[in-house]
Amino acid sequence: MSFLERVDQGIRRSVVWRSLFRQPYPNDERSRAYAVMNNVFLHLHPVRVRQHAVKFAYTFCLGGLSFFLFLVLTITGVYLMFFYVPSATMAYTNILDIQTRVTFGLLTRNIHRWGAHLMVFFVFLHMMRVFYHGAYKPPREFNWVVGVVLLFLTIMLSFTGYLLPWDQIAYWAITIGTNMGGYAPLFNTPVNRLLLGGLEVGQNTLLRFYVLHIMFLPLIAAIFLAVHFWRIRKDGGISGPL
Amino acid sequence: MTDQKTPVEQRVVTPVDPSRRTEIDKQRVPMSARPYRLLALVKQDAVVRVQKEPDDTVMTWPHLLSIEFLAAGMMSIFLLLMGLFINAPLEALANGNVTPAVAKAPWYFLGLQELLAYFHPTVAGVMVPTFVLVGAALIPFVDRGNVLSFRPSERKTAVVLFTLFCILGLTLTFVGIFFRGPGYSFVVPYLPFFPNSTNGLHFAL
Ligand code: HEM
Repeated sequence: MSFLERVDQGIRRSVVWRSLFRQPYPNDERSRAYAVMNNVFLHLHPVRVRQHAVKFAYTFCLGGLSFFLFLVLTITGVYLMFFYVPSATMAYTNILDIQTRVTFGLLTRNIHRWGAHLMVFFVFLHMMRVFYHGAYKPPREFNWVVGVVLLFLTIMLSFTGYLLPWDQIAYWAITIGTNMGGYAPLFNTPVNRLLLGGLEVGQNTLLRFYVLHIMFLPLIAAIFLAVHFWRIRKDGGISGPL
Repeated sequence: MTDQKTPVEQRVVTPVDPSRRTEIDKQRVPMSARPYRLLALVKQDAVVRVQKEPDDTVMTWPHLLSIEFLAAGMMSIFLLLMGLFINAPLEALANGNVTPAVAKAPWYFLGLQELLAYFHPTVAGVMVPTFVLVGAALIPFVDRGNVLSFRPSERKTAVVLFTLFCILGLTLTFVGIFFRGPGYSFVVPYLPFFPNSTNGLHFAL
């Protein structure tokens, strides 16, 4: 046995390793089943899935990648939160500092920005994929409705984040965006006032969008994602084959 | 073993005589050897009907998870490259008194903003988005024609309507992104022989 092999064996036989992983590398059917079933993250999946559902060209991994982007955005977002104060006087300077002084700050902000756009885009594509497969038909009607809520939440997450850099792009995009929503016939004033916290984009708006962006919307989205994934399994797995 | 509690009655179920084993007996595997647990009881007649288990399935590990991990890895590389080479936009500090040449909403709202150029704000900003979202949520309850046809060729109406709707949305968004310049006027980017040509895109991501 070479030195590396002995180290490998030593690690795998150690108490710590065996407390983490209850079985050796899954090679046969039974241990593969346990590998999925006994892992808190993997047991999102059933132990077996239907063959056509595994084909890349059926789902294009669009739902999965939307979820992956959601996770990436959560992680990069938490990192950015350490250096950002939602104040009209500090936010912009914070962003400049993130870009120039914070370790990997620029990279993190870039990934957070591009990931956000990509997520909205992928959720749209996922919705189209689901439609063209007729995957909203019984028994999946309700999961489609959950999906529409998720689409709305994704867009609102992106929109509320858009204001946070507090630069000209952010300010005017949110001014235009909230103006569009401000014309609801009966409750004109409340909608706009509620979102903006005033008559125009200002400190109150920034704080509201911040709280929505980092707390409220992600929380609601996480709940709806849980329902979405749960329902996929309860509805008998991925639809199809066509 | 069980004798102590019930001396008379034999509690242990003896295996079926091999010569009399039925289909169900053959499927009866010791619980400990099964990769799944008993989660529900089904009525006797259901068991009889579902004797043959579907065999069009594959193990989640490695067949599904390997694809998922690969997709996640490719996406990570893509995001890393994007993040390394293209910087997120950042303009001057927000200033409510300095109106930019053209103020645009984020791209997913540009279709609506484009509608704003043609319709009353109540229509473009409230009724259309409400109609789109509620309409989308109602699709499964409206499209009841044949709930068993999934191929696009079997449900042409639904596919055509949805495709038309998507093209409409895409067109509006594209016009909003590329063909709207200063003061939200109609411009043609980059092509100098048009009278309303502009040099560059008035658009930020
Ligand atoms: C945050 C956004 C979303 C995430 C993370 C997400 C995630 C997923 C995932 C992972 C699947 C498994 C199959 C696949 O990957 O295609 C799925 C299936 C599904 N999704 Fe989504 N989804 C989202 C938004 C939506 C939207 C906007 C709709 C529709 C309006 C939708 C409707 C459905 C339906 C009906 C299924 C079942 C499809 C089938 O059985 O073939 N989802 N979703």
